[in-house]
Amino acid sequence: MIRFENVSFGYKEEISIIRDVSFHVEKGSITAVIGANGAGKSTMARLMRGLARPDKGQILLDGVDLKTMKASALAAQIGYLFQNPDRQICKNTVKEELEFSLEHTVQDPERKEALIQEVLTALDLDPEAEPFLLSRGERQRVALASALVHKPELLILDEPTTGLDYKECTQIMEYVAGLNQEGMTVVMVCHDMEVVLDYSTRVIVMTDGHVIAEGQTKAIFQNQDTLRKAALLPPQIIGLSQMMGEGFEGISTVAEMADAIEKKAKGGAEK
Amino acid sequence: MKGLMNYFPGNTILHRLDPRTKILFPLMICIVCFATDNVYVLLGILVLDLMIGLIGGIFRQALRLLKSLLKIAAFLFILQMLVVRDGEAVFHIFGLAITDEGLMTALTGALRLIDITLPLALMISLTQMSDLANALVSRWHIPYKYAFAVTSAIRFIPVFSSDMQTIMEAQTARGVEFDTKNFFRKVGLIVPLCVPLLISSVKKIETAAMAVELRGFNLRNKNSSYKQAQFRLPDLITLLIGVGLIVLGFVL
Repeated sequence: MIRFENVSFGYKEEISIIRDVSFHVEKGSITAVIGANGAGKSTMARLMRGLARPDKGQILLDGVDLKTMKASALAAQIGYLFQNPDRQICKNTVKEELEFSLEHTVQDPERKEALIQEVLTALDLDPEAEPFLLSRGERQRVALASALVHKPELLILDEPTTGLDYKECTQIMEYVAGLNQEGMTVVMVCHDMEVVLDYSTRVIVMTDGHVIAEGQTKAIFQNQDTLRKAALLPPQIIGLSQMMGEGFEGISTVAEMADAIEKKAKGGAEK
Repeated sequence: MKGLMNYFPGNTILHRLDPRTKILFPLMICIVCFATDNVYVLLGILVLDLMIGLIGGIFRQALRLLKSLLKIAAFLFILQMLVVRDGEAVFHIFGLAITDEGLMTALTGALRLIDITLPLALMISLTQMSDLANALVSRWHIPYKYAFAVTSAIRFIPVFSSDMQTIMEAQTARGVEFDTKNFFRKVGLIVPLCVPLLISSVKKIETAAMAVELRGFNLRNKNSSYKQAQFRLPDLITLLIGVGLIVLGFVL
């Protein structure tokens, strides 16, 4: 879907933020980009969306160099959710907000209405509500709706769960997971390792502008060396399985842990 | 990335100037620019502005600012060139006569805009806002509340500029053509952008006001500061240069 080839990028007068990065995001995957603050995750997301241009290397979207396309023209193909929803919202009602998103890409009024209704229903939004008077979680959903109303093939989420409570976080992530089931490719920059474990299929680990590891989510979280290098802690269930030692290797869910404990207890009783 | 109006630390002679001098000198340049119509004087002031950047160790920032100002100056130049009708026709554009006086007014107007904006922005980049506030309060006896308001307003400029950049990116990501090369179209697109900027600015200011209240802002009843602004020989020389320029501006 999207491929980084030896990409380097730096803001003017500063050292490189992204250094010779190469990786590939597979179509239909949910890929999480993790790393400590300042590792270059959000910058990489901006590069992926075409909001910044690499100094070296190239970024290919389905084989086409992003440099050859205008960032605004990519709105229908790539949806982008910013960390702060207030950056995206600019209209008086939720419906106007969504219409504004489609203003530049869809001309047919009927198609426009159908797309808006679909996303309003899916994200449980009141079309007449004033976006700035909504709660943080609801505003995040409005921003997500405005990114998704185009039905993009690729969705980039920059810290989608920041400032959300458990219910709001689950609601947004379940919806994103559903879209992924329907074929949408998702890339998310995320600090919440529990969310990464629950929803992502692949993980890219960054530190100091470099990609230090990439692979299946569970495999990455089992690798303590990689996590240490990236100054990250594994999700609690994986941390617990590592502490438990023999017989508990490779566990990544509570159900698996319960099974392993039961097995161990039975084994002990038999002895 | 450090933007315009951010403080650039250093120990150059300009950094060490009294904050009052750093405010007065650009104001003097402003007087010169309005006093004279002489293009050579205005060009000389432009060189002086760039010298400030060079001496202050922020030449690249000065050039960057100059580049941004040139765009606005070019717009102003075209506008004045088309509007001023006095003088002799020099050439025609689409049947519209462009006069020598129109060209001269446009040139001086554009140069004035650059000459006035550059020194103040550069001097602010060389001044710590806390020093400026202290100098305003302790030397000019401006009530601290007002000095704080002035310095906070200056401090917020780069913050808002960075916010604006992010908001533009957010709107570009939604398909708004901010990456267009058409200047007029870009200006038209800025209107919807003002709403999120205004909302985020008001929120930010509200939080900042609460934060200073919580730190006992209104309890302050005595002017005190561990640093005192000192008026030294370099300050005197700078201001004398300013006076000299004003005289030159009125004479030429």
